[in-house]
Amino acid sequence: MATFIVRRLIAAALILLAATFLMYNMVAYSGDPLEDLRGVQTPQTAQLIEARIRLLHLDVPPPLRYFIWLSGIGGCFVGQCDFGMTIQQQPVLAVLLNSMDQTLRLVTIATVLAIILGIVIGITTALRQYSTYDYGVTFISFLFFSLPIFWFAVLLKQFLAIGANDWFQTGARIEWWVIALVAVVSGLFWSSVLPGDRRRKAVTFALGFLAGGLVLWYMSVSGWFLNPRFIVFGLDFSMLTIAVLMGAMALVVTAILAGFRHKRSMWIALGVAAVGAALYYPVNYYLFNPQVVPMTFWLLAILGVVTVLVGVGAGWVFGGENKSTNMKVGGWTAFLVGAILVVDRHMQLWQAYSQTGFVRGRPIATIGASNPGFSDSSFFVQSVDAFTHMLLPSIALMVISFAGYTRYTRASLLEVLNQDYIRTARAKGLTERTVIVRHAFRNALIPITTIVAFDIAGIIGGAVITERVFGWTGMGSMFQNGLDRVDPNPVMAFFLVTGALALLFNLLADIAYAALDPRIRVS
Amino acid sequence: MRIKRFAAGGVLLATGALVLSACTPGAAPGAEIVEGTSITAAWNQPFYSANGNTSFGNATANNNINYMTYSGFNFYDNTPELQQDTAFGTYEAVSEDPLQVQWTVNEGAQWSDEVPVDAADLLLQWAALSGAFNTEGFEASEYQDPETGAFTTDFPENTVFFDSGATPDSGLGLVQETPEVNEDGRGVLMNYSAFDVDWELRFGAPLPAHVVGMGALGIEDPAEAKQAVLDAIQNEDMAALSSIASFWNNGFNFTEMPSDTSVLTSSGPYIISDFVADQYVTLQANENYVGDHQPQVQTITIRFITDPMAAVTALQNGDVDIIQPQATADVRAALDGTENITVQYGEGATYEHVDLQFDNSKNPGVFSTLEARRSFLLTIPRQEIVDRLIVPLNPEATVRNSLVFVPGAEGYDDAAAAWSENFGEVDIEQATALREQAGLAEGTEVCLLFASTNPRRVQEFELIRESAAQAGWTVTDCSSPEWGGLLGTPGAYDASLFGWQSTSLGASEAGPNFETGGINNLSFYSNEEMDAVVQELGGTADEARQIELKVEIDRILAEDAFGIPIFQFPEVTAFSDRISGIDPSPLAPTIFWNVWDWTPTETNIEG
Repeated sequence: MATFIVRRLIAAALILLAATFLMYNMVAYSGDPLEDLRGVQTPQTAQLIEARIRLLHLDVPPPLRYFIWLSGIGGCFVGQCDFGMTIQQQPVLAVLLNSMDQTLRLVTIATVLAIILGIVIGITTALRQYSTYDYGVTFISFLFFSLPIFWFAVLLKQFLAIGANDWFQTGARIEWWVIALVAVVSGLFWSSVLPGDRRRKAVTFALGFLAGGLVLWYMSVSGWFLNPRFIVFGLDFSMLTIAVLMGAMALVVTAILAGFRHKRSMWIALGVAAVGAALYYPVNYYLFNPQVVPMTFWLLAILGVVTVLVGVGAGWVFGGENKSTNMKVGGWTAFLVGAILVVDRHMQLWQAYSQTGFVRGRPIATIGASNPGFSDSSFFVQSVDAFTHMLLPSIALMVISFAGYTRYTRASLLEVLNQDYIRTARAKGLTERTVIVRHAFRNALIPITTIVAFDIAGIIGGAVITERVFGWTGMGSMFQNGLDRVDPNPVMAFFLVTGALALLFNLLADIAYAALDPRIRVS
Repeated sequence: MRIKRFAAGGVLLATGALVLSACTPGAAPGAEIVEGTSITAAWNQPFYSANGNTSFGNATANNNINYMTYSGFNFYDNTPELQQDTAFGTYEAVSEDPLQVQWTVNEGAQWSDEVPVDAADLLLQWAALSGAFNTEGFEASEYQDPETGAFTTDFPENTVFFDSGATPDSGLGLVQETPEVNEDGRGVLMNYSAFDVDWELRFGAPLPAHVVGMGALGIEDPAEAKQAVLDAIQNEDMAALSSIASFWNNGFNFTEMPSDTSVLTSSGPYIISDFVADQYVTLQANENYVGDHQPQVQTITIRFITDPMAAVTALQNGDVDIIQPQATADVRAALDGTENITVQYGEGATYEHVDLQFDNSKNPGVFSTLEARRSFLLTIPRQEIVDRLIVPLNPEATVRNSLVFVPGAEGYDDAAAAWSENFGEVDIEQATALREQAGLAEGTEVCLLFASTNPRRVQEFELIRESAAQAGWTVTDCSSPEWGGLLGTPGAYDASLFGWQSTSLGASEAGPNFETGGINNLSFYSNEEMDAVVQELGGTADEARQIELKVEIDRILAEDAFGIPIFQFPEVTAFSDRISGIDPSPLAPTIFWNVWDWTPTETNIEG
């Protein structure tokens, strides 16, 4: 194992060396880094040109200049990283750190959501192979897969930003035919996902149709999109809705992880949900009140961990004979209940946020990471602001990678389901839930790890096009600006970080594969 | 009941936080600030230095913002014409031979921390821009920290280096002796060692001397710090000047909100109140600003948006209120027919032109005769280029008829006469005749240098090639992505097509371009008459005479068939109905030049 890793690392270093050399020279030879100075008609031009030549060592030919750059990078091993200067005389290292920060914010959420959604939908399509739902998802994912992102991003801006904002400003009512369409889709979805004979399917369709249509109709008439609360006769029933939602989450978690036969698990999950609902007002009055607790991202993260631990603790204390499963049930339920509380806290702010002078009823933003007007506001206001800014770029990024994940998961799970040991498990009389969750799903995830590992390397690389279209200054824009200005240093910083990560995660994927699948040995 | 109370409380809390975060109204004297008005403008590059006088900080992205935060003695309006800001201070040339200039700050002019603006600030500005105290033979780059690019503080002891690109033979470098401070301490008298025709333009808005004093010398009291800077300059205290220079070079450079906000001290209508790296800068109206340029908009935010189309969508969506994206056909198409948005098409500061090589050309001697040059220039289809390539971007675009004047500036019309007379229209017959007179056979090659990466220049090249072919010229392609480096290279090309950017209307810009051996004279052009005119222009103080001489330069260039101006780069400005009073200038700081005239409209106040 050790020799394998060392061998791979040495190979990776050599590949990186050769690749950076090529990249550096290609960038350096792609144009004239002094072009912008040459066009200015002032007597000072000569001095400015000379200053830049000195700063960027332009008097050294690129193949040799590469080694100047390399020696700066070599300094990293003795704790003195020198990524050089940009053409604007800023240290590349500072630009790089700032860019990475922006990129991580933008891409992490999109990638995580794409992975979760992709896997969930991939599994469900595999379980309902050749159903309407399966064909529908297949169609949509191929459609998404083939969308050019620059075009899709511009469309998003036109319809989901400008169009949606116009819609918000004119009352946020939904046309009857849209409601009807959504109702039909909802009916079709449920009837093809839920099992049953023809008659039962018809009933499911009717119920799905009614539920989808009614919910949307209610949202439209009550102005839910402008103020996402459940207000009936002037009273806010949001808390009840949330309690119901938490209960539903508890049941879903039980169904997946334990099955309803295990009453104890169900009661633990429901208990955790009940505690969450009971804590609704205290949490909102004290913990989520910026005047009492100055909330930050890290504090929220710690609270999240504490919440999960409390859930796990509940599973441990009341777990009975099935402690480990019940701890999982408790932990997951607690996590989801906490998430609902956090999301609800932000939804309370939605109306106030969209009506401020900085937003003026047009909440969905097309540009940048935040609205300058809210820099002094509370954590929650800023989170709402971050949401309105991240919505479009995240959708654009998700849509592309989501398609891949559904296909891979579906194929992988189908392959596993056809194997002998699954048949054996079924023959043994295990419940369908146990067969899928415990035996099939885990093994189906092994090939997915490889893809996820590659994608995580890609996260840092950012999304050159998406960043540009939505005005984010992350890694992608650093790379592009460097190319535009014929400035190798920031391009190389980008390339070095993404290249190193790609190689590293490649290695990690191989190791993880070996660790997960005992049939494979690395040597 | 509890539910309702909570809902009310939650909304109250949320609104409270939002309201508190909104702008607090300022009580600026005489300002007509509409409470809480805010305007967002987009710019394509982030801000990074509050000192635009250093060679490091001299960039449009900085100068736009510094223009709003520092008051100076003069500025360009959108004519463009130089205007004095007499509410800040006054200046006059006391004597022309030798040149003596008196600069005086008005009584009451003050920094945003209520410290008065006075002679100390002017003296520091002089010390920095003249480089009079710079240690001789000092090679600054040897002390540059390769990682941060900043100058390390451990210069050899007592080394003074102001990074202002000063040279002792031009601009303020000509004022080597320390200016006298007036008795009232509000003005300085400068003695020039030689005449400088653009003396008015050289003394930009001063930086706060007391902030430099506090930062560089570690003095806490502003008045004391100011005095210390004044003393250091007057007593030539090299130890103190060394740290003053170092702070002047580096102290004002920041890429996010600095922890010590004293470097944001402003003397202009606005002051930086927030700065998030690579995203935006927020400027608040400066409550302590007492000048004439009282702002009407409380908060101006400059967001950094690189992509022109993204800027257009952001404007349409209401994310930003003012944009000036790079003018392209896509941008124009997207802006056309958008409701509630005003679009102004205009001219930028850069102009396109063709230069001919008088000597050292690729095809030896092709343009050494006047006939050959005239013949070639007569074939250049200027009107066609404008109609086909520029009018789609700027409906009012016309052919530019001067190599010296910015269109609209005083004197342009007189200068244009020479060009329309000589090269008013394409004249194939005359061009053919002239080519034959010059003894050049049909099919003589002219290699044109231009940027191969610029699609517009490629199209221009095609149009020129077709037109010139009719008069028997064969225009060949000398284009290169590194065209800039090839400019002025002997034997590389015969004619060049590129743009010159004007940064001011200064009389001294013509010299380096057209005099024999000038640094921007890339055509090996030499004409004694021209040298004499340039020489005289360099020593002329009278503005009317300066214009006469510049018209003269244009006439000589046209008659010598030096080259030919084609068009002014188009510029497009678009703004929402939340703001009025925007009237961009072709010169930097383009849209921002009249930031004090920006007025929030009804729509803005309602919001």
